Amino acid sequence: MKMKGAKQVHYDAGPNMTPLVDVVMVILIFLMLAGNFGDVEHYLASSVPIREKGVPVKDQVIPDDVELKIRVDSSGDRFIARLEGDERTFVDPKDLRDLLSGKLQGYLDKAINPDKIQVLISPGGFVKYNYIIQIYDAVLEASGTSAGKEIHFTKVAFEQAH
Amino acid sequence: MSKRHIPESHTAHPNVTPLIDIIMCLIIFFMLVAKIGVTTGAEEIKIPKTIYGTKISDMGNTLTLNIPDASNNISSDMPTVRALVAHSKDETPVMQTLPLLDSSGQNQLLITLEYYKQQFADFKVIIRADGEQNWRAIQPVLLTINQAGVRNVFYNTEQEK
Repeated sequence: MKMKGAKQVHYDAGPNMTPLVDVVMVILIFLMLAGNFGDVEHYLASSVPIREKGVPVKDQVIPDDVELKIRVDSSGDRFIARLEGDERTFVDPKDLRDLLSGKLQGYLDKAINPDKIQVLISPGGFVKYNYIIQIYDAVLEASGTSAGKEIHFTKVAFEQAH
Repeated sequence: MSKRHIPESHTAHPNVTPLIDIIMCLIIFFMLVAKIGVTTGAEEIKIPKTIYGTKISDMGNTLTLNIPDASNNISSDMPTVRALVAHSKDETPVMQTLPLLDSSGQNQLLITLEYYKQQFADFKVIIRADGEQNWRAIQPVLLTINQAGVRNVFYNTEQEK
């Protein structure tokens, strides 16, 4: 008697997980890469690198605008900031920000264009770069209001070490 | 007695696994290529943290100047500046140290900045400096940027969470 060979059968024992695993892997790789190289960094923009000392004002790249100079000195593990023409000293960037906000509001009330206000940061040679950038950040954070709009300082630059 | 048969399976849907595999390969390829294409030469440096900051949309006409902490370098007062530099359009950019005063008395940073300023109309410099350094270490770099006539300077900072 001729025996019939067993038929080849294919079992689908459950849902096919392969596409799901593939997609999950793609998402995982994407997130890993994005997490490592994502935009956690940004930039503080300046249109003037540094104002040099001993160079006549007419030859400076900083125009003759309203000038607001912040003197920054080092004091151990912290900094001391002072606005030129103001006796008060600041060790916290937030206090400096509040003072600058008041100053900016004063200029706006006098209808002075913020583009005409030059903020100069004048650090001492031994002040840490971290502190100087904190001051820069405080300047950018300072704001006033004009015609219902929030206004910030637009021109910030450094001065050669005092 | 009737025999029980295991029914043959009929897969009516198309097998999408190879398609997904190919798409995955393409995604990984493009992601890697895109990263390599926009490499700016930014090195691992402990840059300062700030709340405010802007993004640079076009990194094509920028030069990133890495200024690592050189406070342990007692042999020189000058900062160490490193950048990914190509001295001609055909040259592949290479990470180089740009001394502010080399053995022949030349300022290599100034020469490089002047070349880049000539090449790109809207040339920008990115300062990527270690936050623990003193201002006097950063200042000579800014003075050189001034001397080269570059006006657009961006200070690279980390976004404060």
